Amino acid sequence: NKSDERMKKFKNKGKDAAALRRRRVEVNVELRKAKKDEQILKRRSISFRLLDENLNEEREKRNEIIQLSLEEIVEAVNGNNAELQLQATQATRRMLSRQKDPLINEIIELGIIPRLVEFLIHADNPPLQFEAAWALTNIASGTSDQTRAVVEGNAIPAFISLLSSPHMHISEQSVWALGNIAGDGPLYRDALIKCNVIPPLLALVSPATPVNNLPSLVFQVGFLRNITWTLSNLCRNKNPYPPLDAVKKMLPVLIRLIKHEDKDIISDSCWAVSYLTDGSNDRIQIVVDTGILPRLVELMASPELLVMTPALRAIGNVVTGTDEQTQAAIDAGVLAVLPSLLRHGKPTIEKEAAWALSNIAAGPSQQIQQLIMCGLLPPLVELLDKGDFKAQKEAVWAVANFTMGGTVEQVVELVRSGVLKPLLNLLLAKDSKTILVILDTISNLFRAAEKLGETERLCLLVEELDGLEKIEALQTHDNNMVYKAALNIIEKYFSGE
Amino acid sequence: MELSDANLQTLTEYLKKTLDPDPAIRRPAEKFLESVEGSQNYPLLLLTLLEKSQENVIKVCASVTFKNYIKRNWRIVEDEPNKICESDRIAIKANIVPLMLSSPEQIQKQLSDAISIIGREDFPQKWPDLLTEMVNRFQSGDFHVINGVLRTAHSLFKRYRHEFKSNELWTEIKLVLDAFALPLTNLFKATIELCSTHANDASALKVLFSSLILIAKLFYSLNFQDLPEFFEDNMETWMTNFHSLLTLDNKLLQTDDEEEAGLLELLKSQICDNAALYAQKYDEEFQPYLPRFVTAIWNLLVTTGQEVKYDLLVSNAIQFLASVCERPHYKHLFEDQNILTSICEKVIVPNMEFRAADEEAFEDNSEEYIRRDLEGSDIDTRRRAACDLVRGLCKFFEGPVTGIFSGYVNSMLQEYAKNPSVNWKHKDAAIYLVTSLASKAQTQKHGITQANELVNLTEFFVNHIQPDLKSASVNEFPVLKADGIKYIMIFRNQVPKEQLLVSIPLLINHLQAESIVVHTYAAHALERLFTMRGTNNTTLITAAEMAPFVEVLLTNLFKALTLPGSSENEYIMKAIMRSFSLLQESIIPYIPSVITQLTQKLLAVSKNPSKPHFNHYMFESICLSIRITCKANPDAVGSFEEALFMVFTEILQNDVQEFIPYVFQVMSLLLEMHKNEIPSSYMALFPHLLQPVLWERTGNIPPLVRLLQAYLERGANTIASAAADKIPGLLGVFQKLIASKANDHQGFYLLNSIIEHMPPASVDQYRKQIFILLFQRLQNSKTTKFIKSFLVFINLYCIKYGALALQEIFDSIQPKMFGMVLEKIIIPEIQKVSGQVEKKICAVGITKILTECPPMMDTEYTKLWTPLLQALIGLFELPEDDTIPDEEHFIDIEDTPGYQTAFSQLAFAGKKEHDPVGQMVNNPRIHLAQSLHKLSTACPGRVPSMLNTSLNAEALQYLQGYLQAASVTLL
Repeated sequence: NKSDERMKKFKNKGKDAAALRRRRVEVNVELRKAKKDEQILKRRSISFRLLDENLNEEREKRNEIIQLSLEEIVEAVNGNNAELQLQATQATRRMLSRQKDPLINEIIELGIIPRLVEFLIHADNPPLQFEAAWALTNIASGTSDQTRAVVEGNAIPAFISLLSSPHMHISEQSVWALGNIAGDGPLYRDALIKCNVIPPLLALVSPATPVNNLPSLVFQVGFLRNITWTLSNLCRNKNPYPPLDAVKKMLPVLIRLIKHEDKDIISDSCWAVSYLTDGSNDRIQIVVDTGILPRLVELMASPELLVMTPALRAIGNVVTGTDEQTQAAIDAGVLAVLPSLLRHGKPTIEKEAAWALSNIAAGPSQQIQQLIMCGLLPPLVELLDKGDFKAQKEAVWAVANFTMGGTVEQVVELVRSGVLKPLLNLLLAKDSKTILVILDTISNLFRAAEKLGETERLCLLVEELDGLEKIEALQTHDNNMVYKAALNIIEKYFSGE
Repeated sequence: MELSDANLQTLTEYLKKTLDPDPAIRRPAEKFLESVEGSQNYPLLLLTLLEKSQENVIKVCASVTFKNYIKRNWRIVEDEPNKICESDRIAIKANIVPLMLSSPEQIQKQLSDAISIIGREDFPQKWPDLLTEMVNRFQSGDFHVINGVLRTAHSLFKRYRHEFKSNELWTEIKLVLDAFALPLTNLFKATIELCSTHANDASALKVLFSSLILIAKLFYSLNFQDLPEFFEDNMETWMTNFHSLLTLDNKLLQTDDEEEAGLLELLKSQICDNAALYAQKYDEEFQPYLPRFVTAIWNLLVTTGQEVKYDLLVSNAIQFLASVCERPHYKHLFEDQNILTSICEKVIVPNMEFRAADEEAFEDNSEEYIRRDLEGSDIDTRRRAACDLVRGLCKFFEGPVTGIFSGYVNSMLQEYAKNPSVNWKHKDAAIYLVTSLASKAQTQKHGITQANELVNLTEFFVNHIQPDLKSASVNEFPVLKADGIKYIMIFRNQVPKEQLLVSIPLLINHLQAESIVVHTYAAHALERLFTMRGTNNTTLITAAEMAPFVEVLLTNLFKALTLPGSSENEYIMKAIMRSFSLLQESIIPYIPSVITQLTQKLLAVSKNPSKPHFNHYMFESICLSIRITCKANPDAVGSFEEALFMVFTEILQNDVQEFIPYVFQVMSLLLEMHKNEIPSSYMALFPHLLQPVLWERTGNIPPLVRLLQAYLERGANTIASAAADKIPGLLGVFQKLIASKANDHQGFYLLNSIIEHMPPASVDQYRKQIFILLFQRLQNSKTTKFIKSFLVFINLYCIKYGALALQEIFDSIQPKMFGMVLEKIIIPEIQKVSGQVEKKICAVGITKILTECPPMMDTEYTKLWTPLLQALIGLFELPEDDTIPDEEHFIDIEDTPGYQTAFSQLAFAGKKEHDPVGQMVNNPRIHLAQSLHKLSTACPGRVPSMLNTSLNAEALQYLQGYLQAASVTLL
């Protein structure tokens, strides 16, 4: 009815719910070190064949392996002697896969990449194919320039056709190489998709290799891990996002993989889903429609950091979406899991959980009510009080959104849970935006207090908790908006007797 | 302008003239420079002069002029012409850095400022080589040059500390980090090495330490927004060096100055800030280093002296510890009893001591002392930092900390007892310690509201505070007296009432103390005690309980105003006001003397009003005297007028702007006290009140409107009969007010009083014009505030003149206008009206339109009848509509009522809310029901049929409720 409409208009005062919800990346520039808990973009093949490597080292010591100079390698690779080609390619691969200082640039400068790519199609010589694939995998694991050298050597079609190699280890090595190329960024990712990488890749998983009926051979789980990782790289990166039809092809397989028991496979498939949900609402919807949210929420509660991190990310992304999408996450039980994550102890997890909470708090008052019922306020207040600054910042947003969209009764509940003291303490934060958000929140609280005729009580409370002197001090803040917001609160509620 | 010697010569001359003390020479020269600054080459001429002029004063003058020129003109404002031509811009950017670096310090500063102004606009996009140019100078080895670069960098980068995160900002920071972080780190290391090789060369050290301070500041700016990858990777280098600098001491760098912080202190202080930044924001990464810093900073505190020059360092250092000890995962660093004890002993207690500087302030700068001590403007003081540390430690260790300090307090009190005149400072520290330990939450209004339960406050009060205040001499140990009084003041909610009552005569007695701080605190404490609330929302201390002290209280308060230094003491004046308000009729016997003293004071301060709070409370006290006296004896108003009018006249004649709004308020109060016809003395003043010049000042408007309302209320008939020629002037005021978005509501107040009180015949000829004016404003700039006032006005008009008259006047302006007003304004906007009385006026007015306006029943207006009724029911039942259209969010603060800082409303001159329909209608809902009933008897059948066809069900249900309550039915 009309009065409801008006309430709605009032509540958001020019901001709509979508603006309250904050997407993952506000700025594209990062000053920080790349996150340690991010999924790895490219990998060199070293430890995976530890045995082989040790064996080689042993042999090297005993001089059983012929040492070749770079010149000799070039000569042999470009020559016609198949035996020498293999030896040289193997020597190259060894240089590229040793633990320390792989000679990637030196190898690139030899100009042998096109030749190595040629070796990939020597179906008659599987050892040579394998060594070449391995060598190229490791070159592609380097910097963007190094990956480019491989792509420009025309390796993409060759690797894609090797996916269907009858030799499992060659097929697997190709999966790995393609993963490295896809991980370089949206450009090569889409180049791979254009070259139709997805059907043969998916064919490796299904239906010939039914996920849950795999023979219990270790390397086969390893193979599946590689496939999952490569798929996740094909889902990764924005600007632009991967094409929708490609996503739709991969998603059913990912959904199956996410139900696997192996934690690396679960982890990488969760990462893939987290990339797919890190976007506009229609992308989120595709994932929601698969019905995977309950599984993701279940994984959020996993004791494995490896699994929980990407699951939390994915759910965090989903709740940046519409009210309905957020409701789907709530229905899947996210609110029951969040309290323990808010108290996890690891700052990045707590931060991520608080971020998700802040987006749920940006929803309509019914969702805020669910948030209260599920006992989210106590851990939120604790985090605000004692969390790491990154997490505190998100918790501030959660409180701000709560006070923006909550009913007067809900806001009262929030204040009762002790939010005011830690919130006011954070006015000392060394971050202008956080301070401004807190000042806006204080104004929201006062608006609620006015409706209840409790302005004076709130004034006293703020003063008792040393908030008043902090707000007063902010009147000299160098940031204009902060200073104005502080001045406004002082003038409106604290001037005069 | 050519870059010629002739022009340089001319410029030199004009610059010289701008320094002339004679404005007749200076002003034209400044004008001339302004007139030529738009010419090409002008800035380059200035740069040439500041570099090459023979006279140093011209160099400096040119550099200042240049900086100001850049400040005014560099920025390119959209849609405005570019004020500096492109070739000049390029030339400036190409030359300014080397020029700055080769200039002497005085000029370097100006150019450095200019660079940062230019940088703010052009850096990095339009000044890509600035950074490389600066970084290259690090290699120069010349620290004069290096410091110039660092200073410029600091002024360019310091905005990173307060700006919001944005793509643009972070892109810039990234660029700066890429170019600057490594060279800065290398410079940092090199400078530290040089410090040890030059450890014995005082002048070299000074330069090097200046660099280190700037480097530490740059570190802060560059690390503020987020922890940059580079600094995370190089944390070891930075933190290890910062740590060792914290522990460094060098005799050569110690200064003799007791007040001014030296280089070493400034550097350490900045390092504390840097460590605090990392501890707060990058705790995860900084954790391995933090314990080292805690130890270093703690040692620093233990070894730093009491001199004022260390204050900033010490308070920064203590604040660092305070912020760390509150964090759960650092709890263990403080947990050990020995550590706690030595923090209490060596860090907290020494910094709570009353120092020589405090003693000086107490005696010679009491105003500042009071401000710091009472009003909490002590944020950067040592005592305050020590208090914060106590509170921080109490978060986890309340028991042990209280225990340690209790021992301390006892031993300090014992010291005092041994020899009070020598050891009184020990007692001061003991009281301060108890206070900071006990207070957990505090407000100005209530004092301490939550106390540490482990401290027995009453016992301490009885045993250690009261004895001091009971001592025969009020002038002995003034600091302890002040401490004691402050103790009562802040723990007033913890100490039982009987103890407060015992204290009251003691406080009254201390109003006579010579020390300004002591008698001010006594006045303030009394004032605070008098505002305390008891049960039933009455004052805790009653007038009856105060009866024995009335005379001595009033005498001492007024006497205190004669003590040296307190002639305009706002605390005393506020205590006077509060005493009046508490004592009420028991002050009547003293009024003649009181009012004489107040008017004398008023006369004295009106010569040069300088203490706004003092003045405000003085006028409040005057108002209270009037109210209290006239309540008991209405005829006394004459004697007040006699006492006050002379001073008032003088204030008005001398145009004492600060006081005029107060005078109008007091006059309103006096006028409203009159029960009969308005006295002629007021009527004589009436024409003067309409002078436009009075209305120019925004601060005058509210009290003047109020005063005119009082005139209309008491003297409408007199005005109509004896001053009818002033009615156009009155309406002129209305017209002026209504034209302003800020003051239109005041215009309506006036208009409503005119409508309500003036005999209709006297305003007949103006009525139509009034409506036309309102319509013009409605068309030109409609705001929510205006509409709300407009709605109240037309309904009041309807009540006063009848619904038919309202309809006729609208339709006489333009046919069908009344229908438009109903449809476009009243029906859709009525829900916005706020205020009890305002809503009532609207309800009664609309009821009249519905039931006493024949055209509503039998013309095309009939279709609006039900919607209007529905809107009225909405006004009764729905929540108020407080939405504001988007575009009105941007109305300046100055435009909204309540923000008129120039006007200080007197609480005790307050006007009772006036309800013009009070007697007429008690319950507007019942009134509606009765009126509808009356209407339905006049035309049976019509009303129910209109209701049933289009009133919505919910509204109908409400309406039936009204009819039932009024026991009527519709026919």
